[in-house]
Amino acid sequence: MAIPLSIFYYLYLFFILVFLAFSFFNVYTLLRFGFLTLSNLIIVVFYLAVSVLILTISWNYIGQIDWHQSVYFASTL
Amino acid sequence: MLNFHIPNRQRDEKIIILIRRHYFIILIKFLVWIILAILPFLFYLMMSNVLKGFLPAELFYPIVTLFASIYYLYIWLFAFYSFVDYYLDSWIVTTRRIIDIEQKGLFNQTISEQQLYRIQDVTSEIKGFFATFLNYGNVYVQTAGELERFIFKQVPNPGLVAKKISELAEENKRFNRLLADADEKISTK
Repeated sequence: MAIPLSIFYYLYLFFILVFLAFSFFNVYTLLRFGFLTLSNLIIVVFYLAVSVLILTISWNYIGQIDWHQSVYFASTL
Repeated sequence: MLNFHIPNRQRDEKIIILIRRHYFIILIKFLVWIILAILPFLFYLMMSNVLKGFLPAELFYPIVTLFASIYYLYIWLFAFYSFVDYYLDSWIVTTRRIIDIEQKGLFNQTISEQQLYRIQDVTSEIKGFFATFLNYGNVYVQTAGELERFIFKQVPNPGLVAKKISELAEENKRFNRLLADADEKISTK
């Protein structure tokens, strides 16, 4: 049985979307209830910077994979 | 730090104390996230050979890469969420009121307040090894006619906070008595 590798990639993108949505709500909550102070802004920028760093490092690895290939389970298992 | 927005601020109202839970509380939470961040490395070191045998070779690298990426993104997200929850939970003592701001999740914030002159009893409590060692604990504020108490949870220097609230409450009561006396004198004239 062959399954396209891209399924995992789309699943990954879905998790990224959920991550982005929750990040937005977290940042919104912090700014809405914690107010737009300098310390809050520094915290938000730090959070976003580390998030971008994780995504960039991930992309460096994920970009090397050929997502068009299929995996044959029956022959390998 | 004391330049903080307070809900329904009254005229001439000043913030005297603004406190959050002790730093140790958020430190413990971060420690858990750090341990969870280290775990996959240990798991990979111990189980990589087993996993390689279990998964097809062309699937191993993509799955591990995607899983690691999602795992660390979500660890970071939940660590930040813990911080937001810690940061937004605060207690404010002003010259007139005590305000309890409690963040329950992302979309739920409860703000309760009580006038200082209504305070009847203030109790501090330090319980446990770390609390005793690091000097943090709860402050219970009982107000007139209220069954529920105000609880300042796991705040640093609870004894000092309780003392300060008692002093402010007494000051407020004296001030209110003076105002009432003055009003009475004016009305009798």
